[in-house]
Amino acid sequence: MIGAQLAVKVLVADRRTRTATLLTAVGVAVATGLVLLLLSLPYATKGRAERAAWQEHHGSTGDGTPTLMISSSTDFSDGRRIDRVDVAPLTGGVELPAGVRKFPARGEVLVSPALFQAMNRLPAAQLAERFPGEVVGTLGDEALRYPDQMVALVGHTPDSMPSTATERHGFVPRADAQVDGLLAVLAGVGVVVLLVPSLVLVASSARLIAARREQRLAALRLAGATPGQVVAITAAETGIAAVAGALIGWAISPLLRLLARLVPWDGGTWLAGDFRVPAGLTVFVLVAVPALVLLAAVAGLRRVVSNPVGAVVRHTPKPLRWWRLLSLPATALFFFAAIGKGDLSVILLGLALMIASAMLAGPYVTAVIGGFFVSRWQKPSALLAGRRLRDDPRGAYRASAGVVLAVFTGSMALTLMPSFDAMTGGGGAYRDSVLSVDTSVARSTVIAGQANTTLARYNLPARAVSMPEVTLKSVNGSTYQGVVISCADAVKVFRVQDTCAGPGVYSAYDLELGGFQVAGSYDGAGVPFAPGTAAKPIARTDDDGYLPLLIDPAVLPAGFVAETARVAVDTTQADREMVRTALVGAAGGESVYTRELYLGEQRNQLDDLRRVTVIGVTVAAVLAGCSAAIATAGSVMDRRRTFGALMAAGTPARVLARALRMEAALPALVATIGSGVLGMVAGLGLFSIIQESRDASAVISPWLAAPVVLGFAVAVLATSVCAPALNRVRAEPLADE
Amino acid sequence: MTPQGSVVLSGRGLVKRYGEQVALAGVDIDIRGGEALAVVGPSGSGKTSLLHVLAGILRPDGGEITLHGRRIDQLSETRRSELRRTEFGFVFQSGMLVAELSAEENVALPMLLGGARRREAIGAAREWLGRLGLRGREGARPGELSGGQAQRVAIARALTHRPKVIFADEPTGALDTRTGKDTMDALLVSASDAGTSVVIVTHDVELAGSLPRTVTIRDGRIAEQVGVLS
Repeated sequence: MIGAQLAVKVLVADRRTRTATLLTAVGVAVATGLVLLLLSLPYATKGRAERAAWQEHHGSTGDGTPTLMISSSTDFSDGRRIDRVDVAPLTGGVELPAGVRKFPARGEVLVSPALFQAMNRLPAAQLAERFPGEVVGTLGDEALRYPDQMVALVGHTPDSMPSTATERHGFVPRADAQVDGLLAVLAGVGVVVLLVPSLVLVASSARLIAARREQRLAALRLAGATPGQVVAITAAETGIAAVAGALIGWAISPLLRLLARLVPWDGGTWLAGDFRVPAGLTVFVLVAVPALVLLAAVAGLRRVVSNPVGAVVRHTPKPLRWWRLLSLPATALFFFAAIGKGDLSVILLGLALMIASAMLAGPYVTAVIGGFFVSRWQKPSALLAGRRLRDDPRGAYRASAGVVLAVFTGSMALTLMPSFDAMTGGGGAYRDSVLSVDTSVARSTVIAGQANTTLARYNLPARAVSMPEVTLKSVNGSTYQGVVISCADAVKVFRVQDTCAGPGVYSAYDLELGGFQVAGSYDGAGVPFAPGTAAKPIARTDDDGYLPLLIDPAVLPAGFVAETARVAVDTTQADREMVRTALVGAAGGESVYTRELYLGEQRNQLDDLRRVTVIGVTVAAVLAGCSAAIATAGSVMDRRRTFGALMAAGTPARVLARALRMEAALPALVATIGSGVLGMVAGLGLFSIIQESRDASAVISPWLAAPVVLGFAVAVLATSVCAPALNRVRAEPLADE
Repeated sequence: MTPQGSVVLSGRGLVKRYGEQVALAGVDIDIRGGEALAVVGPSGSGKTSLLHVLAGILRPDGGEITLHGRRIDQLSETRRSELRRTEFGFVFQSGMLVAELSAEENVALPMLLGGARRREAIGAAREWLGRLGLRGREGARPGELSGGQAQRVAIARALTHRPKVIFADEPTGALDTRTGKDTMDALLVSASDAGTSVVIVTHDVELAGSLPRTVTIRDGRIAEQVGVLS
């Protein structure tokens, strides 16, 4: 009870305590709000996946007898993804997913509002004619992955369903929805990246009154207060700010969710109810965050509890030991060993240890720099800063702790991103502008015929070709993939140069056809080529991707029957959407593939990653900047009397400001460069996991320096608060407060 | 060095207010070259305000201050800071040394701030520390010094750049009687040797009595002056 009373009295009477309490509350509020938001991300992705579960057709066929046939495919319009679901009832009474008002009959289509708008906006030949039948209704939000998702639910009879359709007992239920693993991992990283700067902010706020509180508590201990009473007083003082902050954080979390809703991920934004956190978890956070802050405050009382007299006497600082530096190579070795083993949890532990090692080595390097300035100073500001850094390297470095994490994460991301960028593309044999459909040989001629009829109706010169897919088998058992296509047509759709020289088997590699047989499938029986059939060279336009053997129909052995085929058509920028409409309409629910859009999807994923990285690093940098600013203000307050006396004796405020900026800038420089290098090392380590399987090289971009420069700038900018703080001292240099 | 007896610093009609409260209500005072004077009076009488106004730490609300005949109360804060750094020295109750700096670095600080080179400033600091009996303690931090030693370091700091006037605010307030007397002797002898005037604000009657001139302040006015320039 006495603790609470004393805490309130101090709060009412002391302006600096009020400021520190307010800042602590802000720090706790930010931490609570961010944790609640980040914890909601897995639930948000789960909510999305649950709503869109009915759009899937893979997975289990469900319990019981099949009630419907379903096929899911992907289409694009103007670069925007369209999810298409073709369905046909096998029995009556199929249970409808939430947001789907009716089961469409053959010739009926249900579309999402976004798709409906696009169909109305664009000419029918560009979009609407892809869907057979009439739009009979729209899908509700509950049936959409995200609010502006473009989805079509197309009704069929079983005999008109695409060949890729499967039979199931009802739509895929919500319970079978798959959570977005990448976003869940990013949320975990985000908790660390944003929680630590938030807690540093809290710690910086607590430092504003640390010295004064320690003296007050020491006086109380000397006056007879028990350690328990001192702990109770501290808990009460901190508890007011921590509990209020947690409640404010909880109160502002809807605002953060509102902002998060606007951040696109995987093609779209979010629904209002996506970012929900279960009540139990919310209560846990609201208890755990203030409890952590209280625990840290009470743990900081060690000195005053064990030796109250010592707490009021200034200590000669103990020098830090060089072995702290060893933590850097040690943790880096652990990290790379973990990468070698490939265990994700150990790799994450390695990352955490690397960050921790920066906190261990940073103060030592700060002290060394301080020592350098102490021995080499020429100006008083360098002397003042050097001495301060040498005396309290931990305190000086602490202000940069938030910056360390932001720069570490930013550098890691910027090492990974350009490397990922360099990996995009690949695997494509077709020209970027070619549209194609995988299907059966029988369907391929139908699809190509229908598509060409439509193309003729649209007055477009483009024509679809059907290419049966075959396997070439050598006598020694090796196999090659091939497609049956004339060289002239191949030049239009494949990424090859026009070096056609009559009928033959064209290969980008040296190939001796003797003994080769051609089969309709991998397991099918082979038929030998006619004697004299030659393999002819054909050059690829680039080295990206794999080129199948191109077999001219004229050299195909008689009696050969292929099983699968691909229908392909080249497009131009001008006719692409209409050609797509012709092909999608003909394919009737089978996915139309284009490398251009495949690359676009990759770019979108990278954009998503970039966006969340920029948001995360920016928030972390702002928090770090606030911590550095508070630490600088605290540093002035701690030495108010000394600074006041120096100013009274004529020391210009700018000299003290320069010393303070140097005090802050030097550890920030160490912290940002060190954490930037560590982040790059961690990024290269993580990239090496993927690098081996993708035969890719890491890209070191000059932008890698950006987080270091940004972090340093934030830290130095934050120290500009020393100017107003010193001006307040200058106004009344010899006043107590 | 200022000629003994001539007026170095002069205040005329000095007024200082803090809101409604009047700290100085028209004070006239002259400080002569090389003299040592005590300013005494009850708490809240305006002693410290007078010291701060004369030293240019606070700007008076009325009246004028001249140093060697030139007005200084109308100077900018920057110019007044420069003046305090070059023409005045300060000794505060608890030394107010920079905790992170060694004794010699604390003493050298005013010279360094005035643009002196490191070698010159440190040399002068060592010389003054030696004169004040602190040889061998040059590298000690304030936390490692006794109260009397810390105050001598503060005196050395006030003298090292050879100021015209030293202002001392309760310089012995935190010291025992013996140490306080030794410290004051050190200050007065060193200042006298350097021809520096000393203005001491104190509650210590014995200390005030030992100085040639005492000014008593009451309710923001000079109530009494005892003694003349020695």
